[in-house]
Amino acid sequence: MVRAVLLLVITLIALPVMAEAPQGYPFQSFDKAMQQAEAENKPLFVYFGRYGCGYCEKTNKEAFSDNGVREAYTRNYVLAYVDSESGKRLRLPSGERITEREVGTRYNAFVTPVFTFMTPDGQPLMRLVGVQRIEDLTEADKKVQQALAGAGKK
Amino acid sequence: MRPHTPWVSGLLLMAASLSLQAQPWEFAEPVAITATSGKGIFHHLESSGRRNIAVSAGTVAVAWEDDRDGTPRIYLARKARQAGGFSAEVKISGNGEAYEPSLVALDQNLFALAWEEDARIHARLVSPAGPGPVVIVADTNATQASLAIHGQQLLLIYSQAEGRYGRIWFQRLAVDGQTLRPQQRCPVDAETVKDDQLYPVAVSLGDRTLVAWEDRRPGHTIIMAAQNSKQAPCRFTAPQRISERPPGPRMPYGKGHGVARVALDSYGANRALAAWADKRDFREGYDIYAADYEGGDERLFGPNIKVQDTFGGFAQQWHTTVAGHPAGRLVVAWDDNRDGNADIVLSWREDDGWSDDLAVPGAAGPGEQNHPTISLDREGNLHLAWIERATVGGPTRLRYMFGRALKD
Repeated sequence: MVRAVLLLVITLIALPVMAEAPQGYPFQSFDKAMQQAEAENKPLFVYFGRYGCGYCEKTNKEAFSDNGVREAYTRNYVLAYVDSESGKRLRLPSGERITEREVGTRYNAFVTPVFTFMTPDGQPLMRLVGVQRIEDLTEADKKVQQALAGAGKK
Repeated sequence: MRPHTPWVSGLLLMAASLSLQAQPWEFAEPVAITATSGKGIFHHLESSGRRNIAVSAGTVAVAWEDDRDGTPRIYLARKARQAGGFSAEVKISGNGEAYEPSLVALDQNLFALAWEEDARIHARLVSPAGPGPVVIVADTNATQASLAIHGQQLLLIYSQAEGRYGRIWFQRLAVDGQTLRPQQRCPVDAETVKDDQLYPVAVSLGDRTLVAWEDRRPGHTIIMAAQNSKQAPCRFTAPQRISERPPGPRMPYGKGHGVARVALDSYGANRALAAWADKRDFREGYDIYAADYEGGDERLFGPNIKVQDTFGGFAQQWHTTVAGHPAGRLVVAWDDNRDGNADIVLSWREDDGWSDDLAVPGAAGPGEQNHPTISLDREGNLHLAWIERATVGGPTRLRYMFGRALKD
């Protein structure tokens, strides 16, 4: 009984209370992700969310929970999470000091979630707006990978 | 472009002239606030409540942060009303990393600033003779300072981390010559914080102080407000939600829609307006919403109103700021991209609601013009400063424009 209660408590603590980056993915801040992407010459996948975002929570539960999505996105991209309402300060590789909210403004994250595939230096390649299903994320990954392969970037 | 026939040109001229007549201000050419700009220099106008410009007697002042020497620091530049340009800026902050200066004007060309430096809130006065001594008001994990004037006293409001969450604090500062002296200090919300309280702004309304801020207690961000009274300056009413929940069923996911960065100013006889970016219509992104202060302890603010015009629905609005005048004039500024790039846009209160939006000539067009900060002087003239850049992510320039008040 004690073990069951303990397990329940641990499970509740582990659940994301608010819509944040999905569990089990190495999401990091946008500036750190840019540095890593440039160092590894790897594309970025940027998740623009916000605190309490309903469609982020839905996408996390219904699409990012998929093992195939997790495996593909973790392998193919450097992952960044941006809280589009946060004042957290970042320092871009250009030297510019910017807040997460301003990163959202710059990339026109006018709704959440917005998912933007980017070159390592932050040029948008493709974006997905709103709730995504497993097949949407899988298809988008294929398209981006094919485009990069076609451009000789892989 | 095809030439217009004479009657089309005539109509356009008439429309332009009507539009000009309806404007409360006639704008001068923009001027540079600082000569320091170029590769690797990024200016920021981003104080809590967007109070980065103020006017005292005949002097306009602008406060900002930039990292010209590799460290973010606070600077202040001033311009006499009749002068063609700004004088060389004065460094306000010390040796630490400094952010988000809030600026207000007292009498006789005296200005007050508060800012965050090394996670502590600093404040000082600046007179024509130079800056006064620095006072450190909050000494740990404090951020998002915003100043307001209360007679010849200063009111400082800021967010200070308490455990995991920011909490809004209220601090009175007495002005003693060139020196600031901390007085009473207290939290605005007496209850234990359950989630972040962020980006506060305050305004003095005669015998009371009104405070508004972002609050995350319901699991998403809302705008809340509280007020005190002259009899009990450190006792605030229980916080009330200003930003309304949109009608309709609750979504099965998430906690609610997003709002961001409330601005607040007084106008008329102890009236006030709060305005913020609000994403209740998720298809349109952020829109500018506002609420009028109604004054009752039970109901501080009236219903939410959309400030922008219908054309703004096609664009996203950011960086809301408000300025009011004791005679009743009230103006809201923001930036939006309805014409394809970020422009500074104004709307002012008219008898029957908010005016059509005006993309400010000289602060709109190619490139980016954003992060407005505005102030109305005694005569009702509009003072506007903003950030300009030619390319996304490129170096910034700080610009200023004077809008001469036109008679009704």
